[in-house]
Amino acid sequence: MTTAFETQLASAKWTFSTRRVDRTLATGMDTAFEKARPGELILAYVSEIGQHRRVQLESGRHSDIYPGDAVVLACGARYAPDQFEGLAEILPKSADLLAGGGCIGRMVARNERIKQATRLIPEGRLLRADGAALNLDDFAVRVSARGDRIPVIAVFGTAMNSGKTVATAQLALGLRRAGWRVAALKGTGTGAFGDFNEYRDTGAHVVADFTDAGMVSTYREPLERVRAGINRLLAHAEDAGCEIAVLEIADGLFQRETAQLLADPAFQRRISGLVFACGDAVAAAGGVAEMRRHGVTPDVLTGMLSCSPMASAEALGATGVPVLGKNDLSDPAEANAFALRSGAEWRSAA
Amino acid sequence: MELEFEAPTTDSTVKRINIATQAGPLATFVITPRRMVSSRPLVVLHGISRNARSLVRHFRAEAEHSGRLIVLPHFTASHWPHFQRPGHPARADQALVELLNRLAIRFPDCGGRVDLVGHSGGAQLAHRTAMLYPQRIARLSLVAAGWYCLPDMSMPYPYGLGESNTRSAALWIRRKQAGLAAYLELEIRVYVGSRDTERDPALRVSSALDDRQGRNRHDRARTYVDAVRAAAHGHGRVADIALIELPGCGHDFELAITEAGLARMVAETSDMTPALAAAG
Repeated sequence: MTTAFETQLASAKWTFSTRRVDRTLATGMDTAFEKARPGELILAYVSEIGQHRRVQLESGRHSDIYPGDAVVLACGARYAPDQFEGLAEILPKSADLLAGGGCIGRMVARNERIKQATRLIPEGRLLRADGAALNLDDFAVRVSARGDRIPVIAVFGTAMNSGKTVATAQLALGLRRAGWRVAALKGTGTGAFGDFNEYRDTGAHVVADFTDAGMVSTYREPLERVRAGINRLLAHAEDAGCEIAVLEIADGLFQRETAQLLADPAFQRRISGLVFACGDAVAAAGGVAEMRRHGVTPDVLTGMLSCSPMASAEALGATGVPVLGKNDLSDPAEANAFALRSGAEWRSAA
Repeated sequence: MELEFEAPTTDSTVKRINIATQAGPLATFVITPRRMVSSRPLVVLHGISRNARSLVRHFRAEAEHSGRLIVLPHFTASHWPHFQRPGHPARADQALVELLNRLAIRFPDCGGRVDLVGHSGGAQLAHRTAMLYPQRIARLSLVAAGWYCLPDMSMPYPYGLGESNTRSAALWIRRKQAGLAAYLELEIRVYVGSRDTERDPALRVSSALDDRQGRNRHDRARTYVDAVRAAAHGHGRVADIALIELPGCGHDFELAITEAGLARMVAETSDMTPALAAAG
């Protein structure tokens, strides 16, 4: 006989960030929201539509949401200068939809050009049979490899929307065209299917993001955890026989976790290629200077600036780093050069 | 796939396939021997005469003899007015790589290293493709290329890998430099007719080319071999390259096959006998 709880869960909209969760393990709820930790699963009801009018479903499509809809999301923080900053905190009476991919928390800052966050009323934390809160971390991809062998081409950018995802996807496409078995990975950010689907459309052999490593968002997570998540994704790629990985690091160079990774000697040693997406030539000059301050120099610049021959010439002049457009990155000859420079080992066309 | 060249007197089959690639559609003849062994496929690139169909007849016997899959792309004039040099007008290199990727689905050996042979314009495409994707090539056989991209930093692109003001030079130099070390490790065989000394209308002529590579295909082949040896030496290696002169031959590929046995030379491998024995 179906219980009311099971009916609630069955009728809820399970968001993209919860896609790995085994729903049958959810056997109850509590309302100890003060104990909520990042990654814990929350059943909530939509109370007031604001910025987000839709959520991203685990199936990979959007769903409009209406007041009264039940949604399952993960508690998490959000860093999005063009939208919200939010913390992984749930107040009992009301919470905010921080990201349509399925991130619930408390908004603390908002870009003045956007609406208030869509408001949610938390119903409960989902619990296992033993009373422990269900957490995305419980469903992280299982790996056997160590993730320390596969060459990694990292993609950084000056800011959100500077062209990192396009660069990541197009380079993965070029590598796949050249015959490499490639993984397209997103190492940091907030869970959403837009980038994930863009990667998948390239035919990359493995596509994964930090939600596959058990985090709804990497914002405000300790560097060790972020690094461990990235290693898990790389191990997943190795387990799947990938020969090379393209790894997008979200947001701009000054974002907390991005800056920590950039400055991290272990991370620097781990990457064997570096692509930097920039909006314009000034951003390129500043970004490259910041990278060089940390002892690294990008192999190429790309992003919005590559659309403009004049901006590209200015960036090349200011930095000495060549500029490539998205069609260059998806060119198998260019991508193959990345693979060879990174020491990728050819096994067989994938 | 459509079947062509069916001949009950031979056991191999020839299929003509058309594949869609990002660079354009590519027709290809695929010769499958009756007793196919697990061995490196052989890819044969025609020259400017685009005589892939004629070459099929010559290489069919080699497929039977060697047990190897032999692949002959056909760069038709309508789709590939330029195919010798990867660049802005045409990207035959992309089409070749995509062809191998597609063939690998049915013939897994195409996913590993293949032997690549090219004649004249096909030799130009072959060595430039090998520079870009050296990991996909085992043995590179170049027959009478008109001119070369030398692994020589002192010679401006496109004749070498030195800086140049030509269109997109920096892009192509960077790409080829990335694969240079692996390219210099390839087994390379360079064939040229002893009488291939004509400066015919198809031969590219310029003072820079004449001065640095030689005045004809025969001399340019020798220059290329010397340049590869020097570049490998610069990388601390000994190049596996040899120049084979075809006595009495001019520039005609088919005559070199019928009179000098060129098809057999490029198709034979050292491990062929045991492989064929294993195949029964």
